[in-house]
Amino acid sequence: MDITLTIFFSMAMFTIGLIGVLAKRNALVFFLSIELLFNAANLLFVAFARQWGNEIGLAWVFFVLVVSAAEAAVGLAIIINLFRSKQIIDIDQYNVLKG
Amino acid sequence: MLFTLWLGLFVPLLGFLVLMASSRILNRTITGIIGCTTIFVSFACFISLFLAFTGNSLDPFTAKLYSWIPVRGINADFSLHIDSLSLLMTLIITGVGFLIHVYSNGYMDHDEDIVRYFAFMNLFVFFMLLLVLASNLVLLFVGWEGVGLASYLLIGYWYEKPVAAQAAVKAFVMNRIGDLGFLLGLLLTFYLFGTSDIVEISNLAGSKFASGDSILTVLTLLLFVGAVGKSAQLPLYTWLPDAMAGPTPVSALIHAATMVTAGVYLVVRLHALYILAPITLLVISIIGAATALYAAICAVGQTDLKRVLAYSTVSQLGFMFLACGCADFYAAMFHLTMHAFMKALLFLSAGNVVHMMHDTTEMSKMGGLSKVFVKTNWMFLIGVLAMSGVPPFAAFFSKDLILEQEHLAGYNTLFYIGLIAAIFTAFYLTRAYCLTFTGQFRMSSEELKTVKEAPSVMLIPVAVLTVLSIIGGFLGYSFGKIPLLEEFLAKSEVTLAVPQPAEGMFSSPDVWMSILGGLFGIALAVYMYTGLKGAFPSPLEFLRRTFYVDEIYSAVIVQPLEALSRFVANVFEPKVFDGGIQISVQATQGIAGVLQRVQSGQIRSYIAWIVLGSVFLIMYLLP
Repeated sequence: MDITLTIFFSMAMFTIGLIGVLAKRNALVFFLSIELLFNAANLLFVAFARQWGNEIGLAWVFFVLVVSAAEAAVGLAIIINLFRSKQIIDIDQYNVLKG
Repeated sequence: MLFTLWLGLFVPLLGFLVLMASSRILNRTITGIIGCTTIFVSFACFISLFLAFTGNSLDPFTAKLYSWIPVRGINADFSLHIDSLSLLMTLIITGVGFLIHVYSNGYMDHDEDIVRYFAFMNLFVFFMLLLVLASNLVLLFVGWEGVGLASYLLIGYWYEKPVAAQAAVKAFVMNRIGDLGFLLGLLLTFYLFGTSDIVEISNLAGSKFASGDSILTVLTLLLFVGAVGKSAQLPLYTWLPDAMAGPTPVSALIHAATMVTAGVYLVVRLHALYILAPITLLVISIIGAATALYAAICAVGQTDLKRVLAYSTVSQLGFMFLACGCADFYAAMFHLTMHAFMKALLFLSAGNVVHMMHDTTEMSKMGGLSKVFVKTNWMFLIGVLAMSGVPPFAAFFSKDLILEQEHLAGYNTLFYIGLIAAIFTAFYLTRAYCLTFTGQFRMSSEELKTVKEAPSVMLIPVAVLTVLSIIGGFLGYSFGKIPLLEEFLAKSEVTLAVPQPAEGMFSSPDVWMSILGGLFGIALAVYMYTGLKGAFPSPLEFLRRTFYVDEIYSAVIVQPLEALSRFVANVFEPKVFDGGIQISVQATQGIAGVLQRVQSGQIRSYIAWIVLGSVFLIMYLLP
């Protein structure tokens, strides 16, 4: 089976995620876009693993899933705490690390 | 014999260490006993070496303790050389040094910090012994700097007095100028001879260089610069009169009898080199003669008793260099020995007066003291007569030998300069004696009641020196035979350029000129300075200020240097150094101001940068 379509789909997904990360100011949407980036990469792993019959790619997918799950837990906790401190969900307002 | 030698050298150092380590627990008496005993042990050691040496059971030898700098071309060991020249010096140092240490017990009796005093005195004796015994120039230089250090510490002994502290610094700095010459000479010696051993250098010099070789002239002149600094000759003499701010026994030991003669010793020790450099010898004799005359004239204008003696020391050192310059090294050593006795006598008997008059050194407060200081009066008078060249006292033989040798060697101008300086010597010493001891009292009767003759611990050492000053001259004169001292020193090849004429001294008209000159100087001073009826004749201003030499040095060297320092401190440093640093600071801040805009605190902008960076990286890595 040709994976060209899958690659294009993954690229589209990655681009959408990247635009979301760069353009959206809402912290939750921002976070959602990061998940899109992860899964674009996962899709490619799966596609190439199938293409070459190599299971290492599948193993990587599980790694990524575990990391993204942990990241989701930590990230959501951070977002909740940010919201508690300022009652604002716009991440551009959080710029206390400005040099 | 080796053990005796090392014992003699290191006992004073041991005394220094013991005194310094236990300064809090020792009382006054024990301190004095330790301080004097070490020097006496040392003296006894060198006496026994001397006896073995004159008894012909000992030849000149070099004793090595350990290998100090085993580098090819330097090869400096910690080793000592014993011959008649170094033995004579050790006997002067420890003998006169012992007397002065005993005397110090009386002189320093009001001083709280006597342990420090004796510790430094012992340290001085150690370094001085090291200087004269060293078998190579590097070790000699260690002693040379060590005595400079001890001199600095002892001039500044009363460091609470600003005058003393300044005088100490002045002595140190002036000596440093001379030491630079010495150090350059030392390096040149390594280059020329490939060794620093004095005996080897003396042996090599004759075969390696022709007489008048220019590089040898440079070498000897450089070493002589060191001698000029240490022995307070023109133009580096100004520290010595100021050094009188130290205690009087220090002046007697360091600034009259021993340390200041180190320069003369150096020239005599290296006479094998100096003989090959006639130009250097000429320079030495000119500087010596000029210093002898100049300092003698300056001494006439002093109102401070100790400063008179200080200028007298400078002048007599000039005589010694005058003798060296005519290659009469024996005459120089003879005069050095006699001068050590006489000047120690003069300083210590002056010290009696100064101490018992509660540290007054101004002669305008003295006068008529012969009624109070009966014994001191006689001893000072003998010192004055001996130094003035009245026969048969010490300096008559030594100074006349120098003058006579000048004449025999054909240096007529130098002879007459020396003769005039000798007349001035008789004049200023008699003047000092008359102003101090004769005439009427110049202080009030209440003050006079507190003054009495010095205690016997101070009188006995002075009496011993008086005896030495009376009979010492016969070491260098004996009827129709070779004198004892000359025979002794001839073993180190320290001899006269022109052997003494066989008919003896008194037949020569020079001697009569010198005796009559001395008597004339004495008579003139007696005529001018007795019968003053309590008035104090103030000297000519330019003589009192010694031809304004200190002022000239201040204007020509010190003040320009201070102006330069101020310029560096006020202009150069803030503008150039601080300005330069400011530029780099501002540059860093400017660059940081631009760069810190990148750190906006916006997460999305960071991500944008990451993406941009990744894109560039991928484009770069793609084949």
